[in-house]
Amino acid sequence: MHIAEGFLPPLHAVGWTVAAAPFVVHGARAVVKEVREHPENTLLLGAAGAFTFVLSAIKLPSVTGSSSHPTGTGAGAVLFRPPVMALLGTVVLLFQALLLAHGGLTTLGANAFSMAIVGPWAGYGAYRLTRSLGGGLLPGVFVAMLVADLATYVTTALQLALAFPDADSGFAGAAVKFLGVFAVTQIPLAVGEGLLGVLLFRVLTTNARPELERLGLLPPAPAQEEVR
Amino acid sequence: MTGLAVDDAAWASAWRHRSPGDKLLLCVGLVVCALVLPAWPGSVLVGAVAVVLALGPARVPAATFGRAVRWPLTFVAVSALTTVVTVDGGLGWAPDAAARAGSLVGHALAGSAAVLLLATTTPMADLLPALRRLRVPAAVVEVASVTYRLLFVLLQSLNTIREAQTARMGYSSVRRSYRSSGVLAAAVLTRSWDRARRMQEGLAGRGLETGLRVLPEVLPSSRLFLACSVLALAGIVSASLAVA
Repeated sequence: MHIAEGFLPPLHAVGWTVAAAPFVVHGARAVVKEVREHPENTLLLGAAGAFTFVLSAIKLPSVTGSSSHPTGTGAGAVLFRPPVMALLGTVVLLFQALLLAHGGLTTLGANAFSMAIVGPWAGYGAYRLTRSLGGGLLPGVFVAMLVADLATYVTTALQLALAFPDADSGFAGAAVKFLGVFAVTQIPLAVGEGLLGVLLFRVLTTNARPELERLGLLPPAPAQEEVR
Repeated sequence: MTGLAVDDAAWASAWRHRSPGDKLLLCVGLVVCALVLPAWPGSVLVGAVAVVLALGPARVPAATFGRAVRWPLTFVAVSALTTVVTVDGGLGWAPDAAARAGSLVGHALAGSAAVLLLATTTPMADLLPALRRLRVPAAVVEVASVTYRLLFVLLQSLNTIREAQTARMGYSSVRRSYRSSGVLAAAVLTRSWDRARRMQEGLAGRGLETGLRVLPEVLPSSRLFLACSVLALAGIVSASLAVA
């Protein structure tokens, strides 16, 4: 759910850009450091960004009839960590604004705050919590994708409520309105995306185990004893 | 054909060889006008100028422009309607609902049209070097450039795999659709890793050390274009202030 160009009043557009900036700069520093130490990872990071963009081109069948597109920020946060996702997510949002007309330039800050910062951090937090409570990789990924999506949707609804408080009931009334209107599409989408995450990682654990081990998501498999 | 209509339009546009800096000045100026000026007549003027320039001198196909505007339109319509409905003690319209909704829709559509004018005339490959001039770190611009270049390869993989899955009844029921989507996402992800690794090995063999250097295309700035842009923006601002 991207806030369209020109929808937020100027003060809010500037405010959210200022709020998102430190996280994106922090992510950019992490990427610059990574590229300086391992120049070969430039291509892997680029591939991660391209994958995040392409994931939104997958159509998920939705319970409410209309098909919806996953945001993929939860999976990204689990695979590449939230600071890197803050930067990659912002780059992807810029591309979506300029290649698909989703979102916009003046609303880039607000969209980055909800999708590239709050979503990945909330999803990653939920993932770590699930893993520390003894949950496996797949339950962790389900929770991460679900929570990242829900957190993004709630943040966007609150951003809109803050910009357009209700004439009678103020911010609280507006928040209820926006949360209610977008719940119809966003809650089924969050559950659908959680399921997609489980299916995705189930395939990855069999087909791309070495990569998951390298990213620290799975413990290294015990070395097989040589048969003499 | 690359699979993204807006990108195709940008490469084929009559303004493709204009300086990205010139186009940025015009379009960012229009975006700011759409945001700051009152909806009547500011947004209407910005929207009209953006659409006329895109379909006229820039020769962007009207169907591409129209289809791209459809996406933000749904969000704008739903959100604008939600904004002007009150829920306090039953459903009702907020005072001056029509004017508020009209102003919101006007600002958003004018802004979207201005961004689309930039998007349909300037390929990302021209815009990314401009980010470097805004002092974005070289490493970040490089990652963004790789992202842009890999996008189309991955989109093509995605479409090919999906076509094959569809032909094998992969999307015949909701359950199968989910299974197929999961496998599709995993296949695209592992392919992206594989491609990145192979490209990296190829570049390492050619001595990749300090980043991917490419020869930038020099697109000269036009004084006439800049003068016309500034005049148009000044015209929009003064007309809006005169009416307001």
